[in-house]
Amino acid sequence: MPTLTMVLNGHQTSVEVEAGDLLVDVLRDRLQLIGTKIGCGEGECGACTVLVDGLAVTSCIYPALKADGCHVTTIEGLKTDGKLHAIQEAFIQCTAAQCGYCTPGMIMSAYALLSENPDPTVEEIKTSVSGNLCRCTGYYQIVEAIQLAARKLADEGADS
Amino acid sequence: MNASVVGRSVQRVDIRTKVQGQRKYPQDFHMEGMLHAAVVWSAHPHARITSIDTSRAEACAGVVKVLTHLDVPVNEYGINILDQQVLCEDRVRWLGDRVAVVVAETEAVAREAAAVVSVEYDPLPILDDPRESMKPGSPLVHENRESNVLVHYPIRAGDLDAGFSKADVIVEGYYLTPHVEHAYLQPEAGLGYIDDEGRVTVICATQWAYDDVHQIAHALDLPEDRVREIVPAIGGAFGGREDVSLQILVALGAFHTRRPVKMVWTREESFRGHGKRHPFFMRYKHGATRDGTLVALEAEIVADAGAYASTSTVVISNAVTFAAGPYVVPNARIDGYAVYTNNAVTMAMRGFGATQMPVGYECQMDKLAEALGMDPVELRLKNLYEEGSIAVTGNAVTFGIGAKEPLREAALAAGWREEAGHWKAPEVEPALQPHLRRGLGVACGYKNVGYSMGFEDRSEAIVELRLREDGAIASALVRIAASEVGQGVSTVLAQIAAETLGIPFERVRMSLVDTARAPDAGSSSASRHTYMSGNAVFMACQDALQARDDTLREETGRMHAQGQAVFRGRTARATTPLDPETGQCEPHIAYTFATQIALVEVDTETGEVEILTMWDSTNSGRAINPAMVFGQVAGGIHMGVGYALTERFIQEEGRIKTRGFGEYYIPTVLDMPRELVHVGVEVPNPTGPYGATGIGETTTLPTAPAILNAIHNAIGKWVYRLPADSETVWRALHERRRPA
Amino acid sequence: MWREYLFPRSIREALEVLNAHGGDARIIAGGTDLVLQRKQGTCAASIAVDISRIPNLDTIKASPNHILIGAMVTHGQVAASPLIRDHAPVLAQACGKVGGPQTRNVGTLVGNVINGLPAADSAIALTALDAEAEVTSTEGAEWQSVRSLYLGVGQTCVDSCAQIVTALRFRPLRSAQGNAYERLAKRRSLILPILAVAAVAEVVDGRYGDVRIAMGPVAPIPFRAEAAEALLRGRPIGKEAIGLAAIEAAEAAHPRDSVLRGSHEYRQAMVEVLTQRALARATEAAG
Repeated sequence: MPTLTMVLNGHQTSVEVEAGDLLVDVLRDRLQLIGTKIGCGEGECGACTVLVDGLAVTSCIYPALKADGCHVTTIEGLKTDGKLHAIQEAFIQCTAAQCGYCTPGMIMSAYALLSENPDPTVEEIKTSVSGNLCRCTGYYQIVEAIQLAARKLADEGADS
Repeated sequence: MNASVVGRSVQRVDIRTKVQGQRKYPQDFHMEGMLHAAVVWSAHPHARITSIDTSRAEACAGVVKVLTHLDVPVNEYGINILDQQVLCEDRVRWLGDRVAVVVAETEAVAREAAAVVSVEYDPLPILDDPRESMKPGSPLVHENRESNVLVHYPIRAGDLDAGFSKADVIVEGYYLTPHVEHAYLQPEAGLGYIDDEGRVTVICATQWAYDDVHQIAHALDLPEDRVREIVPAIGGAFGGREDVSLQILVALGAFHTRRPVKMVWTREESFRGHGKRHPFFMRYKHGATRDGTLVALEAEIVADAGAYASTSTVVISNAVTFAAGPYVVPNARIDGYAVYTNNAVTMAMRGFGATQMPVGYECQMDKLAEALGMDPVELRLKNLYEEGSIAVTGNAVTFGIGAKEPLREAALAAGWREEAGHWKAPEVEPALQPHLRRGLGVACGYKNVGYSMGFEDRSEAIVELRLREDGAIASALVRIAASEVGQGVSTVLAQIAAETLGIPFERVRMSLVDTARAPDAGSSSASRHTYMSGNAVFMACQDALQARDDTLREETGRMHAQGQAVFRGRTARATTPLDPETGQCEPHIAYTFATQIALVEVDTETGEVEILTMWDSTNSGRAINPAMVFGQVAGGIHMGVGYALTERFIQEEGRIKTRGFGEYYIPTVLDMPRELVHVGVEVPNPTGPYGATGIGETTTLPTAPAILNAIHNAIGKWVYRLPADSETVWRALHERRRPA
Repeated sequence: MWREYLFPRSIREALEVLNAHGGDARIIAGGTDLVLQRKQGTCAASIAVDISRIPNLDTIKASPNHILIGAMVTHGQVAASPLIRDHAPVLAQACGKVGGPQTRNVGTLVGNVINGLPAADSAIALTALDAEAEVTSTEGAEWQSVRSLYLGVGQTCVDSCAQIVTALRFRPLRSAQGNAYERLAKRRSLILPILAVAAVAEVVDGRYGDVRIAMGPVAPIPFRAEAAEALLRGRPIGKEAIGLAAIEAAEAAHPRDSVLRGSHEYRQAMVEVLTQRALARATEAAG
């Protein structure tokens, strides 16, 4: 069996995979990282969004071996030293989750945006989650949360 | 004394785990020795099964068992009428019917083996239009019945002919709503296993764990206390998890193999395997006098019940009680029919028969306003319910009838002015380009809270207190099997508990939904939990406080106290079934109202509609958690926007054309109204906990009709079918009939 | 899914692997279409040959006469590229509409062309740009017009088990060539268009020069409204010419009744509307 080697949530990780495995199944089944959710298996809903080398991808249609040698970030990788990431805190503050199933993917898309564009416009925020479906919230509180997260990160950056 | 918990937007009790991806949904569970199961679905919308050959599947390496009807002790189930078979024996009636289940060591093997279960069919005629299948002489979906009409509910109030003879204007319309898919993000999944006490246990996402237990026990011929269900987290429901989906299948797998059996549906299987919102064909005729008073209503509603009954009888009975809208109409003749076809089973979906009706009655109200030359807000205010108004079912509507307040608030927010008792709509600023037209549309919706028509509604809660040395409450545990589907019930109940016990919110814990540990709260449906379970928790807390006081007084040294209570809807109001001839009854316990106003921009060349602003005013009775109320409003509008403009689950001759998210379009963030203005209203329900009522469904009822009315205001043409997609609007604009 | 997943280090190596497996090995770029085809069972090849590690395939470059887009360039890269936004904005706009951000981060233009769908936004824009594709096999590399690759819905003449499209190229637009992209879809993201029209209009001394109008899906392959283009050549610019051209384009297009996209009548009417709009904007942008 081939080996997939990647820097997963900051840690060098090697795992045996089948040639045809998809990244979401490796994360969930072989590595027990169940934070990444499967909503459709066809790349149509964004629930399975993770970052590969900083880019948001739908892991349900991403061949696992394509991530070999890459940096992969999942929802589990956002916390540092037991402290929630500013985006996670913002989602909590803005009540931006109801059933929570789309939430990890939504947060990862926001994380991809803010990592590259720390001061996004509302339009840019909406575009960043335009590939993530939500059936519960109507998206308003999610957009608000990402705006709040941008401000929090700017403050954190200013403090450090 | 602590500051009030009720009325504050406290942090949801479940959100911290959700933002970390730590919340486990049924598909996230693994057990030692776990097997995987896959369904063999019916290959035909309607057929006789002539043979089932499982030998090839059984021979596949890794297959442990292939289950058929022979393995089901009592092969019947259904949430209301037991007309469905767990595994079909000799007939299939829709593509969602299941013929076999393969249980294997891996999911891949289970699916490969499922593909080689050989089933032979004798196809039967496919019925796909309820207006046809209700005619005498039509082939039957269920041969034990005399016709495909599952049920007919009439309502007769006053004297219809006398009413119409008084009318100065009469308006008619024919309104069509489609099949709608719940589209919750979490596909169905379940894990069945035998627990340490030998109970057949199912981990599943369900709206009513106790009813599932009842149905599983019936099918497996087990006593109910030998069956258990645990609900760890639910990724959205909206009515789609009210009926059992795969619970009996995984229970059956565990029952036979004595090992844990897991099943996860693909999105395509989810679309195929669970029911849809009923399409309604609605014929309406209204009469009003010159001053805008409604005097007569005639309505006929035909609902596509699909292949099996599910809750169709209740949905259509609900629908007829809402056919007149929240308006006083003294003379009415309403007929509702639920009719079998080989289309998808139709089931509960947010609104439960009250979602389709406003498409009819609110478009009718705008037609009347136009015919009378009256402002649409003014016409509605003239006829809207007040406390004590008589409905077409002959009952007085009470318990905080906040019907007019949301309309007033929404209208004022949207720019209406009230002058000397008359309401005047604002001028709509023209769009920036000549091919774009803007319009404003109003709609009012209303819904019942709690079960209806004599169906017993009860919720039970247990509250356990841990006491400090000084008798103060250190912490409270609320045990109640109320399914948190995302609506926020676990947080609302925790807030009510904290408020009633007089302790900080952080000291309240909510139990998991586990039928072995938490009492029955009824379903997460009918917008009922804040009201029913909120009352149960309130009463149980009071009982616990009494127990605490007794404990302290008796100086036993015990550090615990427990309270328990059952809240029964009939103590607030006893509902009764519809009279079979006249429909007169006491239909509902309580009511909830919302108004929405849409400002749309229509591209007159393409028919595209954009929603610039949506104003909402929803009466929550008491907003226990305002941020969560807003979330329900926004989410309800999301579903309403989809209903109005983009969503249609398409079948042709019983075959599914919209297989998944690539073909069924729910609104993305870019499709939502550019601006959402929410003006909450609190007209208390005196029988609700802290005056609260339920809002989960009401928030989606006015959306689509407000959009349709806004489109009419923009282009001067009526669109009477949903979804009002760009081609539909274009046809209305250019008066091009749809080809047959 | 696949029984082997390979990363060749050069085009030559990739071609050798394809030939060695005689039809059982297939090129994968981003995989957004191919993975779905494997799931649905419509792609038989059981070995994936991933070209994403071959150097220099992920660049957008300007050469003296062309802009070159490598085989691994994604829709996201094109939508954000200053070079494309300056010299072929219609392509940047089209690529920005494909799927959602996640799709655009992974899916490639070349992959989208190979997938052969007439509704593909990037293919429609490439057709309006008269783009060419470099088709490489062990016999060598050859530039062919993108348009000529299409055979039917989901089919191109490129055999991805034996050939690799290594690059796309097109002539950058000059300032006299205004361009515009119009799109009609059932919602605003994560969806193929009901109709998209890409127009490139050259205006010289108040008259139309070379005009290119590409659209889809109105036919099994991306469609050029050649009669409409011819009608405009030499005509004075303006509403009248545009109106006539739009009618001509609608008459030439024969979209069928589609359950998901709409009736033939509506779709044909929309050809006229979107062509008119695209030409109006392109004309205004010219000069």
